[in-house]
Amino acid sequence: MTDDQADGRSGAVSRRNVLAAGGTALALSIAGCANNEGSSDNGSGDEGLGGGGGNGDSDLSGEVIVTGSSTVFPISDQMAQNFMEENPDVNVTVDSTGSGGGFENHFCPGNSDINGASRPIKEEESASCEENGVEPVEFQVAGDALTMAVSPDNDWVDSMTYDQMAQIWQEGGAETWADVNSDWPDEEFELFGPDDTSGTFDWFTENVVGEAGNHRSDYEPTEDDNIIVEGLENNEYSIGYFGFAYYQENQDRVKALAVAESEGDEPVEPSLEAAQAGDYPMARPLFIYPSGNSLSEKEQVYAFTEYYLDNSDESFIGEEIGYVPSNSEQVDENLSTLEEYQ
Amino acid sequence: MASDATDVGKWFGDAGSIDRTTGRLFKWGCLGATALALFLMLVFLLYVFNDAFAPLSADPGWLLTFTGTVLLPMLGLGAYYYRRDPAAGRVAYTALGLPIVMGLFAGGVWLLFRHVAPPRMWFGFVVALAIVVALVRAHERIRPNATDERTVLLVGGTILALVGVPGLFPSLRNLVLSAPALPTVTVMFLLTFALPIATLAGWYVRKGRESTRAGTIALAVVLVAAGLGLVIGPVAGVLPATWVIAVSPVVGALVMYVDRVLRQGEGTSGFAFPVVVVAGILAGTAIADLADFAGPETWLNRDFLTGVHSTTAVEAGIYPALVGSVLILIVIVVSAFPVGIAAAVYLEEYAPSGGKLGRFIELIEINIANLAGVPSVVYGVLGLAIFINLLNMGVGTAVVAGFTVGLLILPIVIISTQEAIRSVPDSRRNASYAMGATKWQTVRNVVLPESMAGIFTGTILALGRAIGETAPLLMIGVPAVVRVSPESFFSRTGAMPRQILTWSTQIETDFRYGVLAAGVVTLLVVLLTMNATAIVLRNRYQQSR
Repeated sequence: MTDDQADGRSGAVSRRNVLAAGGTALALSIAGCANNEGSSDNGSGDEGLGGGGGNGDSDLSGEVIVTGSSTVFPISDQMAQNFMEENPDVNVTVDSTGSGGGFENHFCPGNSDINGASRPIKEEESASCEENGVEPVEFQVAGDALTMAVSPDNDWVDSMTYDQMAQIWQEGGAETWADVNSDWPDEEFELFGPDDTSGTFDWFTENVVGEAGNHRSDYEPTEDDNIIVEGLENNEYSIGYFGFAYYQENQDRVKALAVAESEGDEPVEPSLEAAQAGDYPMARPLFIYPSGNSLSEKEQVYAFTEYYLDNSDESFIGEEIGYVPSNSEQVDENLSTLEEYQ
Repeated sequence: MASDATDVGKWFGDAGSIDRTTGRLFKWGCLGATALALFLMLVFLLYVFNDAFAPLSADPGWLLTFTGTVLLPMLGLGAYYYRRDPAAGRVAYTALGLPIVMGLFAGGVWLLFRHVAPPRMWFGFVVALAIVVALVRAHERIRPNATDERTVLLVGGTILALVGVPGLFPSLRNLVLSAPALPTVTVMFLLTFALPIATLAGWYVRKGRESTRAGTIALAVVLVAAGLGLVIGPVAGVLPATWVIAVSPVVGALVMYVDRVLRQGEGTSGFAFPVVVVAGILAGTAIADLADFAGPETWLNRDFLTGVHSTTAVEAGIYPALVGSVLILIVIVVSAFPVGIAAAVYLEEYAPSGGKLGRFIELIEINIANLAGVPSVVYGVLGLAIFINLLNMGVGTAVVAGFTVGLLILPIVIISTQEAIRSVPDSRRNASYAMGATKWQTVRNVVLPESMAGIFTGTILALGRAIGETAPLLMIGVPAVVRVSPESFFSRTGAMPRQILTWSTQIETDFRYGVLAAGVVTLLVVLLTMNATAIVLRNRYQQSR
């Protein structure tokens, strides 16, 4: 600390100092803004600090904003990675917001270019997009085999029909295993499933239980499918459902059930082949919805979408991610739809 | 207080002995709580570090080698300091920690130079400012009494130097950059980064030793160490400019610290500690290389820090998210701290305590205290509504993220600053008034310096909270995956906690254990560095009192 005398002296010139400091700070902040504007055109690639980048063979640049379903996220993420290897100047950001959350908060207000969805877009979502002048263009990019799984300790059930699953999952449904089938133990279920914001939840409720919204609420809802896997692994009387990719990764930790649509049908084990061939009843389509305006106005969005659709029949979708790749007719159909927006 | 009539007038000692059981139970209970908290933290840290570094994946020989060359000497030396020479122990830990902290600081500065202020821009900036300072100094010599004139010169000169007059006169900064020959980037950094640090070290040493020669030597040491990059850089595979940025703060801080310890002449044997550690690491590496021992397959390695997110766990990195977090932190520091500290100063020093306005102020203070407890996701919604939907500042940009998280920690900054100001005894203020000082002089010369230690501690701890916040970032649309580092404060950015959350929901287990742990450790290291800085600053201000 300075002594009192010095304090008195510095007090005498303090106002000027403060004025000067304030003025300097103002100038600095203005300069800071000016700098940022200036830096956007010459980029960060100034010499010296290894900030190179941006010398790919294509001249595309700009941003592609992908939001939407967490189920579609792994495909979009992989596509973004592969696309950016060829087009390093395009910044594809991928977010997982849930199908509905993406439409409502990001895509329809016009803040994102592409929304992934694990179910078709709903009418009210279309209407909300239309209000903002956003036109969602539907492309089916892959398929998923929704998997109903139980604990590996469960030795009384190997397959189920739609009707039995509906009994378990509908509102006011069965309480114990014996309620569904008298041969099964008289023990209460432990139920694990996706959250009601998820497209998986919507698809399952509408197609298997048979009625939108008719899904019991006394289960363990989660947005993180790993929690479902853990729940199934640790509870003998548990049952839950999730996308096939999680089953593929955790085959030794949970037991998947074969599914039959009605009593007389032959139950089918969930697998990508069965889903692709159309034998597995709980196979569901996965979509992306680019915005029509983005496609026609932003070159990089068109290019990324084209790349996405063109590669949606690649084998990595099945082998590395765990979804059903599109077949070649699907790809051709998608690409011809896309051409209308060029 | 219904005490029995018989108890009245009795003394505790009447019973013959005082019962200490309750007191003892209380003491042991408190000890148990502390031990439990520490133990749980330790288990958590060990768990995360084990996942991040996977030490057991190394060869037993490798582990043995490094136990022998690094761990045992460290423990031995530590035990010696603890028993024989506590002063040297303090020196030892500081001398080991200082370069690490300064190195991390240099890393942050490097990120800024690479992404926010490119070398040329920085060079023009510093040179232009230096010219203005030189002009003001010259004016001070020629017309020492024209202070108003000088103020005008300083403010006007700064504006002219950095902004210029749009359309009429280009800024001095751009004039400098349009010079026919500019030095190379390395020389730019030597002049505008290493030289100021060296000057600071030299000034410090000169002041401490009252010897210009010693000061010059210190200055030269720092400059030479930084300049060595021109020679060593290419050999070691580092860009010379990177070397300059990394080495000058570390050496500068070390020179100042070593000089101070040598001057005080206490605990100098502590300097052996970092030397032993570095030598041990070098020896261990050499032995492991010779004997062909494989090191652990750590998740947290150089590739992780410099890489971008990948769908393959082994290749995943955190770099763009790290840059994003640094940018967001800068926005927070620039926006929330001045506002928060100013508000606290007003509330504590100027706000009336009585009357209608006084009651209103009280209401505000209660609200601030309550706001500090509002869940962070609420601030996220607020940020989405105000900054994105109302002001249209862009989804997921560093500015929006910084403002939103800044709002979140604003009440914490205000409250901790208020506490710090309140802890300055009134007698100091009254003494200042008695000397004839005005209110403003009292605040500036007595209250603020006195409470600075507390303000630093509180605000930096608030920053620590800010860097880990995830929920607000989710709400304002900071994307789960960004593969390109943000180019400015106005472009879409990633952030470390958001990236870590993404990894936690990946399907592959390697992401949820290895990569996630590496990300958590990176975040922890940044956080601990900030907390360490808070402690150092606090100690410094407490000592200088």
